[in-house]
Amino acid sequence: MIIAIDLLFLVLLIATALLALHAKDLITAVALLTVYSLITSLLFAGLLAVDVALVEAALGAGLTGLLFILAILATTRHSSERAPRRTRISVIAIVGSFLGVMLFASIDLPDRGATDSPARRGIATYFLANSLDDTNTPNVVTSLLADYRSADTLGETFVILTAALSATVVLARRLGDDHPTGTIAPITPAKEGDA
Amino acid sequence: MIGAYPSVVVRVTAAIVAPFIFLFGMYIIIHGHYGPGGGFAGGVFAAVGVVLPRLTLDDTVSYKIFPAAVGPIAGACGLIIFLATGIAPMFFGGSFLDYGALENAFMDAARARYLGILVVEIGVGVTVFGAMVMIFDMLAGKEPA
Repeated sequence: MIIAIDLLFLVLLIATALLALHAKDLITAVALLTVYSLITSLLFAGLLAVDVALVEAALGAGLTGLLFILAILATTRHSSERAPRRTRISVIAIVGSFLGVMLFASIDLPDRGATDSPARRGIATYFLANSLDDTNTPNVVTSLLADYRSADTLGETFVILTAALSATVVLARRLGDDHPTGTIAPITPAKEGDA
Repeated sequence: MIGAYPSVVVRVTAAIVAPFIFLFGMYIIIHGHYGPGGGFAGGVFAAVGVVLPRLTLDDTVSYKIFPAAVGPIAGACGLIIFLATGIAPMFFGGSFLDYGALENAFMDAARARYLGILVVEIGVGVTVFGAMVMIFDMLAGKEPA
């Protein structure tokens, strides 16, 4: 990967995140978050993590934004008043110190692609070397997820279905209370000075 | 936003593009052995192919092919596919989810694991597809009738 493009993506990433935080209109914020996810996906692809990049592009840049917009249409479109100045300063201090701790801890991380990193020792090398012979599957990520570590994937699938069912239960109750017809009320257009 | 979108251009484009997005999702699921993706990403793409008509077309059209009941049914069916694939090797002396135990005269252990991965990916894809469609339908206020 090329350093200049990498840096450009990282700057764009931070810029979209800040803009999304400051957007008064929540749909604008969701659009910016979608761009954020797309840039993240490009960064993943640059790191040759193509599977992760594909999921990030499909979920983060696609479906999640859509679900956010639906939720905004069902609730309110404008963000609430910003927190008072003192609260904001303390939040910035907390987040800044946390960032400092994370950056300090990242000094000890092994270099990307280092042969003596923990990920290159132990059982991972077995999976990389034997995936094709064991399972006829050239894509090691697929054989890891669906064969070697299939119990993990089974658990994840349970989690996804449980999450969807929980959302259904919660939202069905809400719709039953507020909307007897079971449809979303039409959205009134944004008024000037509403924010 | 839910229901028919005012612009003809948007409606026609969505109607033309949606089946291909769905097809692409199935391709991602099936092609997970050789390329990026697999059940999860493919299921999301297939769900987008179903959700796009629901956003842009009239409800009577978009809920005709995939009614609101398809979400819960697909979610449950996918999980059953996964669990059945996990349990099947136990009848042939293997442990849970050990597809290699399914080998017989027609396929060796590696081939059995290859096919096991395929079926499991399909199960994951169907579950994710059902879950995403279910969440969308609930947010859009369409309960499975």
